[in-house]
Amino acid sequence: MTMHAMSAIEPTSPPPGVLAIRADNWRLAIVAGLALSIFAALTLPASVSFWVVGVAAAMIAAAFVVNAYRRRYYGGLLVAPAIAVLFVMNIFPLLWSLGLSFFAYQSNQQSIRFVGLNNYIKVLTNEIAAPGNWSALVNTALFVVLTVSAQMMVGFLLAMLFAKQFPLRKYLLILVLTPMMLSVVASGVFFTYYYDPTFGILSYVMNAITGGQFILMDSKAGAVAGIVFADAWMWSPFVMLLVLAGLVSVPKYLYEAAAIDRVSAWRRFWSITFPYIRGLLMLALLFRTIEAFKLADLVILLTKGGNDTMTISYHLIRIANEQNKTSEGAAISYVMLFMVIVLTNLYLYLANRRNQES
Amino acid sequence: MSMSRKIKGAVTAAGVVASLVAVNPTFVRAEEVTLTMAVPDWPPTRIMKKFFDEQYKPKSGNTVKLDVDFIPWPDFYTRVNASLTSGEQKYNFIVSDSQWLGAFVEGGYFRQINDLLDADPDFMKTFMEIHPNPLNAYATYPHKSTNYYGFPQFPDVLVNFARKDVLCHEAEQASYMAKYNKKLPCTGEELDAMTWDDFNNVGEFFRRKKGEMLAGKPADDDFYGIAFQAGKSYDFSSMQINGFIWQMGGDVWDETKVPNGQAEGVVNSPEAVKALEKYLNLIDYMPPVAKTGTMDIFKSDELFREGKVAMNIDWIGLGEASLDPKSSKVSDKLVVGMMPGTMGADGKMVRWSNIGGQPFVLTTWTTPQQTAEAVEFVKWWLSADIQNQFAAGGGQSAIKSVYSDPKYVTYRPWNRAWAASLDWQKDVWHVPQFFELLTQQQDQFDLAITGKQDAKTTLDNIAKFQQSLLTEAGLIQ
Amino acid sequence: MAYGISIWERLGIRKSSGVSEAGWGHTAFVALISFIYFLPVLFIIFTAIKPQGLALSVPPTLSPTSLLGLIPEQFVFTPTLENFGSVFSRVMTAGSQPEATGFDRFFLNSIVIATASVVLALIFGTLAAYGFSRYPLKGNDTYLFIILTTRMLPAIVVVIPVILMFRTVGLSGSYLGIILLYTAFNLAFTIWMMKSFFDELSTDVEDAARIDGSSEVKVFFKICLPQVVAGLAATFVFGLILTWNEFLFALLLTGPDTRTVPVAMNQAVSSGGRGTDWTLLAAIETLFLIPVFLVTFFLQEHLLRGVTFGTVKK
Repeated sequence: MTMHAMSAIEPTSPPPGVLAIRADNWRLAIVAGLALSIFAALTLPASVSFWVVGVAAAMIAAAFVVNAYRRRYYGGLLVAPAIAVLFVMNIFPLLWSLGLSFFAYQSNQQSIRFVGLNNYIKVLTNEIAAPGNWSALVNTALFVVLTVSAQMMVGFLLAMLFAKQFPLRKYLLILVLTPMMLSVVASGVFFTYYYDPTFGILSYVMNAITGGQFILMDSKAGAVAGIVFADAWMWSPFVMLLVLAGLVSVPKYLYEAAAIDRVSAWRRFWSITFPYIRGLLMLALLFRTIEAFKLADLVILLTKGGNDTMTISYHLIRIANEQNKTSEGAAISYVMLFMVIVLTNLYLYLANRRNQES
Repeated sequence: MSMSRKIKGAVTAAGVVASLVAVNPTFVRAEEVTLTMAVPDWPPTRIMKKFFDEQYKPKSGNTVKLDVDFIPWPDFYTRVNASLTSGEQKYNFIVSDSQWLGAFVEGGYFRQINDLLDADPDFMKTFMEIHPNPLNAYATYPHKSTNYYGFPQFPDVLVNFARKDVLCHEAEQASYMAKYNKKLPCTGEELDAMTWDDFNNVGEFFRRKKGEMLAGKPADDDFYGIAFQAGKSYDFSSMQINGFIWQMGGDVWDETKVPNGQAEGVVNSPEAVKALEKYLNLIDYMPPVAKTGTMDIFKSDELFREGKVAMNIDWIGLGEASLDPKSSKVSDKLVVGMMPGTMGADGKMVRWSNIGGQPFVLTTWTTPQQTAEAVEFVKWWLSADIQNQFAAGGGQSAIKSVYSDPKYVTYRPWNRAWAASLDWQKDVWHVPQFFELLTQQQDQFDLAITGKQDAKTTLDNIAKFQQSLLTEAGLIQ
Repeated sequence: MAYGISIWERLGIRKSSGVSEAGWGHTAFVALISFIYFLPVLFIIFTAIKPQGLALSVPPTLSPTSLLGLIPEQFVFTPTLENFGSVFSRVMTAGSQPEATGFDRFFLNSIVIATASVVLALIFGTLAAYGFSRYPLKGNDTYLFIILTTRMLPAIVVVIPVILMFRTVGLSGSYLGIILLYTAFNLAFTIWMMKSFFDELSTDVEDAARIDGSSEVKVFFKICLPQVVAGLAATFVFGLILTWNEFLFALLLTGPDTRTVPVAMNQAVSSGGRGTDWTLLAAIETLFLIPVFLVTFFLQEHLLRGVTFGTVKK
């Protein structure tokens, strides 16, 4: 997309009639593209018709682009490539699995049958299937609260440490950033080592202190602590980096002015610093919450869901992957999606309200 | 080249070939055939690939390539399952756990091989050389029917890995004798004769804190007598517990009795409860990690190799690492016996165990030409010569003529326990509901292992779940 | 800096204001905390240079050097580079010669796939973020939220459709497929992150430039982009880190030729018919850490420079 040409276009022309064969007539393009696609899907083998449909989609997209370009819909033009990639690689598969959640379908069987909301009813109320889902959801909520708050706090405090200029700052910062660069497999497996009662460092130290046999992972409290510690350790640097990016963007003169006015540190933070990091804090909170909802790999590596640490995401892997109950898995994941959406909307609502207040 | 010219060219070429074949019936064009195989990444499959590349000469005159996708063990099921169920049709051969057969046969992915066996007497003869227990476990679906699917890749059983330096030490021998009025098992034969009660004694006997005397020296770390699998993931407790249940007269849900076999009343029978209690009692004598529910087959093996336990019941497939001085502190102290049994009321030893190991299977989309080459390859793989080489290189063989050869026991320390163990192996759950049965049972066993509920409750919960699931699936009436 | 102020002032170390200078006292304090935070990583790196037999020793060996007698002898090990060799070539079956493990290829794959997808995501995402920020569409927030929802579901949910789609189009096992997938995977974060940076910029300068006759293209490249370099750097780093370590899609959608390191790494978790090969796993992870570590290190200059010019808050 050449934006240079864009600025040199003729003034907005009136939209074309539906049947006018013009490059910017997206309505005609949709009609023609749809007709072509349906024809191809009905008559040609799948491997050929896929490409025909692809060409039709490209034609429609091209018509939209030309239309947007002639009428200066820059917003649409700028957003389009990203949306296109997202749609093909992400939204389309998501819609597919949403569709599957209304069918009785197992990926290792050939039959498929429409069952309406039955999967949802099953995962929420069935005597055998539902208790596992609910307890996994409760555990997930526990993990989300603990690990996200730990990450926000540790990340914030670390960012405060690094917000100044001081000697060797960049060398120390990279040390703190490293944990999140580790692959979860490696760090998870090494945490099983750190926590191991026979070989591990933690038990070695604790045994030396208490003289007894220390086993971290033999109770729910210990297992949750172990998982949360590992997760928060890995991802606090993420929060820190976002907060730090905000902190360093606060113009110095604002602080200088505040210093002259003898503003208290507390007020200085809320009136000067906070507005600059609010958006980024929100972003960190949003993304860490979403990721925490998906917590599965560390649980699998550290406890396999033992000691009542099963999370909904790990439960989902068992249902959808191990047991191939595809549509039941899809139903669980959309229940989960619903909860995450409610939660994130709540965040965004609160953030916006604060925004308007200040 | 335009489309029509391409087609014309192809037609002409086909005509030429057809006439050549017609003129000279013995004319065979050497073609390149690729067999794609999904295997877990470990020595038994690496050896297979190596032998193939070095030694395999197809009789057909074709160039046969074995394209092996080595997938790390922890992700093997995920990868294979996704490949099969998505209809990717990528692999011709798949190494499969025996219990996956039901789900993948019902899904239409695994190819039945009866027609191939019937068409080729040589193949049938080789196939029937396999010991009946592994044959039933690895090849049949429904279990113990004559519908055949797989060939042994790496057959496996549970054996007792032990440390002779500790067990044979005079001081330990003497004090064990004083305490239990029995000889502390020390040789392979003595290990073979062990019951779970003896195993219990060994566990109780060797519980040494760091600094206490062990085999004439102060122990450099806490030391334990016994270990076996007691982990929550995959089948890392069921495979051990099943042996206890069968040995003590209980049973698991028996798929060969469909539709009359029940779960309620069988799975939670008093014998089964007693067996599980026995299993759980032994855990008290094991290294502390057992209490976390993460002592899987790898962890107990690791504890053994690091010299923290005197005996470990584990799969032969994990044995190689304990022989390698680089990965094992006990490589020169190893003695191996059969898994312990239970003394019956009649004074005879009752032995049962759950078989391990993996078959490999053909997939349904394999073309006739590939299938023909695959059969030749499998015949070669199961031939006595190759199986002997495989065993010599660290594999195991279920072929009678191979494992009954006197030199078989000389290959590895555990081979002495192999042939006898094969006779009392059973297998469970080739049904498509395998994973549901397994995960629920493993979760329940984990609660018992970590001390959250007793044996009775555990088995009651399992029985109730199985009864409901299998009734719904039409396997119990 | 705002928070620490009262503490630091009370301690009398330094009176600070804004992004200010602090002295060696602060350095010492931060160094201590950073070192503690880094310890679990350091242990992995040390495990990579341990002799295999010491990986599980009790007491654990902690350091390749006794630091002039500071660390008791029982915690010290003699370093070796052997494990790094094992990553690329080692004995796979008892009694045979070392074989190539293919890790050179896996490393190359990881670098190509991660770089290409993060750069693509950054290009598409930054354009989109600029669009969302400066030319809001009808229902702008809804679009943004839908984009965010693509990150909310565990990958396992979309795996089957994606595999099917890839097979139909012939993308499975190809670089293009996994790169496009990762691009999509990174877009949500890129768009949200870059939008928040664009939102923070004052539009006064841009408007002034427009009045002076600058084209939209020029406004974007000459005025807006330079102000969000920190944002670009941070987004690149995050995207790289997440993509670098992605596991599930890589497992299911790459073939033997396009396999990435996180998938192949499990070779060491269940290694040659046993459990974890600790020194091998540590060696792989240590090598795997280096590229992303270096990129982060060199980008943090930008990251920390801050958006100092022209930032008049709206």
